[in-house]
Amino acid sequence: MTTARLERSEDALARVARGDATAFADIVHEYQSMVFSITYHFLDDRSLAEEAAQDVFLRLYRNLGSIKSPQHLVFWLRKVACRRALDEVRKLPKALPASLEDIAEPAEDPPDSDPLLSRGLRRMVASLPEDSRAVIILRYQEELDLAEIARILDLPLNTVKSRLERSLGVLREKLHRWAGGIAR
Amino acid sequence: MNPLEEKLSEALRRKAVPEGFSERVLARTRELPELPARFWDRLKAFIARPVLRWAAIGLCLVIACSVAYRARQERQRREGEMARVQVKQALRIASVKLNAARRKVQEINRGAPQSRL
Repeated sequence: MTTARLERSEDALARVARGDATAFADIVHEYQSMVFSITYHFLDDRSLAEEAAQDVFLRLYRNLGSIKSPQHLVFWLRKVACRRALDEVRKLPKALPASLEDIAEPAEDPPDSDPLLSRGLRRMVASLPEDSRAVIILRYQEELDLAEIARILDLPLNTVKSRLERSLGVLREKLHRWAGGIAR
Repeated sequence: MNPLEEKLSEALRRKAVPEGFSERVLARTRELPELPARFWDRLKAFIARPVLRWAAIGLCLVIACSVAYRARQERQRREGEMARVQVKQALRIASVKLNAARRKVQEINRGAPQSRL
């Protein structure tokens, strides 16, 4: 987290404590992209992701008094966003196993374009088991180290390591098959 | 980072929120009952105000000066008391010595005419 962001958050939290109603809006502006991206990468659906992200901020609003510092705020938001997204995923009807042909959609775009690849990868991530998805999102979206991910997900460090390695293996294989599908 | 990890970082970059997201969140918070700030938070915020901070520093300085002044007065009083005791003792000693000398003089004065006889 940058120093400027840290200072802004610190200021906003101090204003919240003084009962300043505009401070919460500043916090939402500061962290909306982070929270929405976590829920979006979990759910791969913008409206569901927005609903979940809004719930995270509402929960924050009710628990502002317990937030001790900007670092605690970021930790809290990541943790609650992951939990909320996991709850949402579990509520969804079980999707059929993702078909790699569905993921590819190589019709008109050039097969090697980055947006296409990114979209395919996001769908592959969204098709991972929920717990592995959380590890991948926190690792590559939030660029957290494994110890931080373990703290957020309340998991032993070795579990996080093994889930990350296993997920990367699955993604590598899917990507390989996907690239093969496009080439055909 | 290997190529797959780089691709993942790129694919999972933070996304822009849908337009009007924060307004919708804030509208939902307005529907919630007003949350009163917690007592300790309000107290901390009250104490943290700059005016109060300077007032507290000023008050501390006044108290420190007053304590130092009182301590100085007390020390002077104790020194004065000690000096008084010493003077009284000196006067007592002087008085004893003077009485002894007067007795001697009186004895000498009483004895002188007898010796002449």
